[in-house]
Amino acid sequence: MGMSDGVVWELRGIRKTFGPVVANDDVSLVLRRGQIHGLVGENGSGKSTLIKTLCGAHQPDAGTILHEGKPVRLDSPLAARALGIATVFQEFSLVPHMSVAENIFLGRWLGRSMRVDWRGMREAALRVLATFEIDIPPDALIRDLPVAQQQLAEIAKAMAANASVIILDEPTTALGLRETEHLHALLRRMCDGGAAILYISHRLDEVVRLCDVITVMRNGRVVSTATETPLDVSGVITRMIGKDVTEHYPKVRSEAGEVLLEVYDIATERGVRGVSFTLKRGEVLGLWGMLGSGRSEIARALFGVDPLTRGEVRLHGRAVRIHAPSDAIAAGIALLTENRKTDGLFFNFTGTENITAANLGDFDRGLWLDLRREHEVSHALIQRLQVTPEAEFELVDRLSGGTQQKILVARWLHTGAEVFILDEPTQGIDIGTKVAIYQLINEFTGAGKGVILISADDKELLAMSDRVAIVRRGRIVRIARAGELSKADLLESSDERMRAA
Amino acid sequence: MRRWLANPLVGPAIATVVVALLVMSTTDRFLDAGNLNNLALQVSIVALVAIGSTAVIFIGGIDLSPGSMIALLTMVLACMLKFWGIGFWLAIVLTLALGAAIGALNGFITAYLRIPAFITTLAGYSAYRGAAFMFNKGSPVFSASDRLEPLFYGTFLGIPLPLYYVVVFFALAHWLMRYTRLGRSIYAVGGNVNAARLSGINVRRIQFYAFVIAGFMAAVGSVLMAARLNSGSPNYGVGLELQAIAAAVIGGASLVGGRGAVLATLFGALTITIVQNGLNLNAVPTSTQNIVIGAIIVLAVGIDMWRGELGRLLAPRRQAEPARPPAATEGEKP
Repeated sequence: MGMSDGVVWELRGIRKTFGPVVANDDVSLVLRRGQIHGLVGENGSGKSTLIKTLCGAHQPDAGTILHEGKPVRLDSPLAARALGIATVFQEFSLVPHMSVAENIFLGRWLGRSMRVDWRGMREAALRVLATFEIDIPPDALIRDLPVAQQQLAEIAKAMAANASVIILDEPTTALGLRETEHLHALLRRMCDGGAAILYISHRLDEVVRLCDVITVMRNGRVVSTATETPLDVSGVITRMIGKDVTEHYPKVRSEAGEVLLEVYDIATERGVRGVSFTLKRGEVLGLWGMLGSGRSEIARALFGVDPLTRGEVRLHGRAVRIHAPSDAIAAGIALLTENRKTDGLFFNFTGTENITAANLGDFDRGLWLDLRREHEVSHALIQRLQVTPEAEFELVDRLSGGTQQKILVARWLHTGAEVFILDEPTQGIDIGTKVAIYQLINEFTGAGKGVILISADDKELLAMSDRVAIVRRGRIVRIARAGELSKADLLESSDERMRAA
Repeated sequence: MRRWLANPLVGPAIATVVVALLVMSTTDRFLDAGNLNNLALQVSIVALVAIGSTAVIFIGGIDLSPGSMIALLTMVLACMLKFWGIGFWLAIVLTLALGAAIGALNGFITAYLRIPAFITTLAGYSAYRGAAFMFNKGSPVFSASDRLEPLFYGTFLGIPLPLYYVVVFFALAHWLMRYTRLGRSIYAVGGNVNAARLSGINVRRIQFYAFVIAGFMAAVGSVLMAARLNSGSPNYGVGLELQAIAAAVIGGASLVGGRGAVLATLFGALTITIVQNGLNLNAVPTSTQNIVIGAIIVLAVGIDMWRGELGRLLAPRRQAEPARPPAATEGEKP
């Protein structure tokens, strides 16, 4: 086919600056019908800025946007939507207390003037869901659905809008393996039906598997265009960070020492139904399970967020009573939460204040806080974790996702924890920071601490764990050495859940 | 230079100066010693009560009750002094303690019974003034004590005493917010409740304390109010809660919580009072004054929120490459 065949959208020479920061510099991109276009790059490489430009949220300083070969101006999200640009963002744009059908047609409810045609809308929603083989009842309220189904509803909403291009920004962060595969099949079908798709993800194996072409961005520029990028993970990584990464998972096995944490038959009202395991010094215990299996709930229980209804937790052989996170912190347990934004960061605080928030007692001098000591502490941690130095005084919302994650890790280092529960520690962060987090895990185990690693990334979990516990319906159904488990074993556990549900 | 501009006190301070200059341009009497003295007295009560309102706003709450609380507390204070034969200083201390206790009630209901702050303090707004009417058959208590007025009208080194109270309490509040664990925790809870809880902060206790501070500061305001008129009345403090909230908001405190500086609230209170004073000097009726205050609140918050847009409007801007308007293509898609 010729060069201009099937081109729906084209960006030419897009430039966008924020004050002195050049977020996009001479970026060009061509989106064709029937093609899934991958867009990858580390945090801060300019992907988000580019997407926001394409969906009308940002105005470029220079450059042209062409729709079907004609220059257009997307001066608002509404204008972009009118031209068929549908975006599925990382943060959901669903209204929790409304039904699936209402959400799918949000902003353009069917009906005349003041009257909403509820029945027509419900039927139209059913048709949309059926077309894409999404199995969600149209009457269900969004807030009652598990996150994975919310994500699917979000996608249905985008697709119902007669899109000329569908932009998906990290659509699988909330999805398990099964749901991800389902989504990919769906995208494939839509693509065959003539849609153009722009797919952004940090999960490179996914991108490589799914996409027809891949554009790589670094420092606000396109460093490898769709025609140049090889469709293999290591090739993409090399272009993303501009150098070879020899070891993606630099796992160092430490000598497992004495037992550090013993958990006996704990249960909570939020879905932990009798869980027992032990964690040794120098060991990484992986927790695997689908969304809703109870893997994160086990973390919440150990950290004192959800009260135990039965069972016992022992640290260093002594029973500890944990009624609140403060008890857990005092006992030497740290929880790096899955969701940085809602459960981790204080966006009104600088990097320093974020780092010290869980251990203010360290410099509480009774009537005042020793702020000089606070800065010494944070300065040392920032250097140790190789966080950008400006993080010390900047508010954290100006920092990249990877830097934010390092700041949260620093917070837990500062508490002097012995047991680190890391819930999806590498979700949505760039490769460089991922490797830094893996090296930290090695550092923890090397220093005789214990790590509980929760991850939906099967490769990461198998590579970084010493043992893996498979969680299903609030129970641990199997604990095995990571080397004895395959991806198929993990998948099987999710199958089981599907059958049960 | 940028750091200096980023200081949260700069904007509200500039607002205060601008307003003062504006008032000066309309009347010569603004700078009279008598007027400045009067201004200091006027600002003191609002500013002190606003410290508490600011603390509650910092945790992401709101306090609608201090005006009504002041009515109740002036009545109790006046009754203690005039009818119940309680010693002067003991009565003052008991009033302050009662204020803190009422604040604790607000805090308990909000933090531990999980009633939203707006609802709790709306109930308090109604109930505390109701309680004020239960004393002295609902009539004001005049001439409560000879020793009361000097607390408000007294001077030290020629400067009115309320100015000292303002300086002392704002210094204390600034120290509390910036340099203590409680202050840091207040900002943390206001910034992100979940993260605060998961960082081991006892969120409910912090929320509770913020309301205790608010109750105590309302009591401080009530003592000054009673001293100013040597009386207690169930009708005192009407609308004061709104002025206090306005002072905090004009000072840049975010109603979402976690953002702002308590010293900026002082500038907020000054701005409001100077505007009222200027309008009074120009014989503008109260109705118009209230409208002006309303406009200032919107303007102050607006300037804060539109800061980015205003900056871009003022800065020279590279024009995007001209492109055809989408009008031609808009019709193509359903």
